Amino acid sequence: MKIFFILFRKEVKELVTKQLVISIAAMLFIFQVIGKFTGEQSKASAARKSAVVVMDLDRSPLSGMVIAGLEKTGYKVTLAADGNAEEALFSPQYADESLFVTLPAGMQKALDCGKKPELGFFAKFKKTISGMGASMSAPRTGKIISRVNEELSDYAIKKKSPSADPAFLKEPITAVEYVAVGGAVAQVPVSQVLLFAQSQTYFFPIAVFFIVVLSAQMVMMAVASEKENKTLETLLSSPIDRRLLVVSKLSASAFIAAVLSGAYMLGMRSFMSGITGAAGSQTAVSARSAFEKLGLLITPQGYLLIGLSVLFCILCALSMAFILGVLAEDVKSIQGMITPLMMMLMLSYLLPMFIDLDLAPTGLKFLLYAIPFTHAFIAPQTVMSGNTAQVLWGIIYQAWVFALFVSIAGRLFSGEALLTLKLRFGRKKNVL
Amino acid sequence: MTAVNVSGLVKRYKKIEAVRGVTFSVTEGEIFALVGPNGVGKSTILKMLATILVPTAGSAEVFGLDTVADAAKVREIISYLPEEAGAYKNLTGHEYLDFMASVFLRDGEKAAAAVRYGAELCGLKDRLKDKIQTYSKGMTRKLLLSRAVMIKPRLAILDEPTSGMDIINGYEIRRTIKQLAAQGMTFIISSHNMLEIEFLSDRIGMINRGELLACDTPAALKERFATGNLEEVFVKLAESGA
Repeated sequence: MKIFFILFRKEVKELVTKQLVISIAAMLFIFQVIGKFTGEQSKASAARKSAVVVMDLDRSPLSGMVIAGLEKTGYKVTLAADGNAEEALFSPQYADESLFVTLPAGMQKALDCGKKPELGFFAKFKKTISGMGASMSAPRTGKIISRVNEELSDYAIKKKSPSADPAFLKEPITAVEYVAVGGAVAQVPVSQVLLFAQSQTYFFPIAVFFIVVLSAQMVMMAVASEKENKTLETLLSSPIDRRLLVVSKLSASAFIAAVLSGAYMLGMRSFMSGITGAAGSQTAVSARSAFEKLGLLITPQGYLLIGLSVLFCILCALSMAFILGVLAEDVKSIQGMITPLMMMLMLSYLLPMFIDLDLAPTGLKFLLYAIPFTHAFIAPQTVMSGNTAQVLWGIIYQAWVFALFVSIAGRLFSGEALLTLKLRFGRKKNVL
Repeated sequence: MTAVNVSGLVKRYKKIEAVRGVTFSVTEGEIFALVGPNGVGKSTILKMLATILVPTAGSAEVFGLDTVADAAKVREIISYLPEEAGAYKNLTGHEYLDFMASVFLRDGEKAAAAVRYGAELCGLKDRLKDKIQTYSKGMTRKLLLSRAVMIKPRLAILDEPTSGMDIINGYEIRRTIKQLAAQGMTFIISSHNMLEIEFLSDRIGMINRGELLACDTPAALKERFATGNLEEVFVKLAESGA
């Protein structure tokens, strides 16, 4: 055991370079900065959405009602002077404004005659159509159109039938939303369930993806650089059990990858909190009992299963990367050698995000389940849907794949193939 | 006592035969050198003796232990220094010696004594506290050679021990090898530097294209081919194909 820790410590010292520490610190800093600035812009954008410039060319009681209604629902209304819309849009006076509405002359008269007046809604961009402000302009325009429509339809209803309740006529039902998951039903809006499910699973696949890529690169680098420097030949001629060399390298890489992914998660969390704040968690609290009833809250046992699935996912990636590192000609060839692993990772990470695995064609389903990483990526959703048996089978399969690749790695290490076999883009060659 | 006994050793890589039926033996405390140009199979023979390559045919024994059947036991009594080997660049010189002593010696006290001896042998003094990535090629080689002999193996296998070293460092290493051999350590070294070999070794095995052409003391070889230096001996052997 003592020799394992000696080897483990050496591996950690070799892997934790100054460059690695600097790049992680830089990553955390960048996440922090991007999160802060994006958050600030998001807030500015949110504040700006309540501002609207209205050109009232109708100057009727109805246009006054529309403006009052907008102000009542939180809009900061600026009344533009008479003129045409284009003049107001490009006037320096309204340079910072991005939402404009024109209430045309004769609007009330048209409605009184049962005709549809034509109102103009303008979204103004400065130069480029990008950033948070730009992405918010479509929902902002849609919202103000609905708001103005509300005011005008209230007026039209009241005009036709003064005793009628416009709110009742427009929405005569009370909608109660239910969601059924598995065998349970709960009264909760669908949108809230979706938001909760996303908030629970949003970070997870990204973190798993990064931890797997980082640890795989590390173990490949560790093996390939030992080969290149011939330090491996010295270790192979030592009395140490060669399986211990394999285990110590895998353990050290997994350990550092776990630390790095923790750092990554911290950075990502600060980045996301900058953008979204704590909206997701507040939603979760308000509907907690419904989520509990639906079995969507992950229990400690559920977290244990997810943890095990992730652990075996990392171990599978490490054992595969170890073999690729053994076959790599030198450190430079690692970028090419990692390609098969990256392809499997991308497939298992991205496809389940866009397709429903249950409805996927059999061939595709088989391919995805054959990749051991898929089971870890889908573990949270599977646990939330109550299908723990599937997660367990996934873990058993991952353990089998891990054992298979470790035994191959062990065989490579105990024989001379480690020194004689080199693989470059699928081409085998023996060397002296 | 016979330290190494190599008999009909063959190593084949698919169609290439790197070593062709090599036979020689080395006695305890002897410095035996394999000489010949680059790529003739010297390193392959040393790797087979160091148990990291398996012979295709023939056998190699180290102090009576077969390098294939008793590989684990052989590893307990040998030390191997590969040609142009590097060290762990993120470790300091002292950490490297400490790590290697722990790997080769299970006994903590023996390991500590080996580190002290290795530190003394390499002569790097305060530079042992610095990371290996700051060392020159010569300093690294001295550290590696000290690592190879500090554990006092019964057989030290050194592949081109002085390659890339300047005159003074090379001289110091040759002197150290001679001193250790006088104390009973057996050495098998490889080199293509005939002058170094003539100074250092008790006996020489001349190799070309995987075959052992001749095996004797430097003086005997020179006398047999009536020449004053080993380079001419090698050229004559290579030309005659003897």
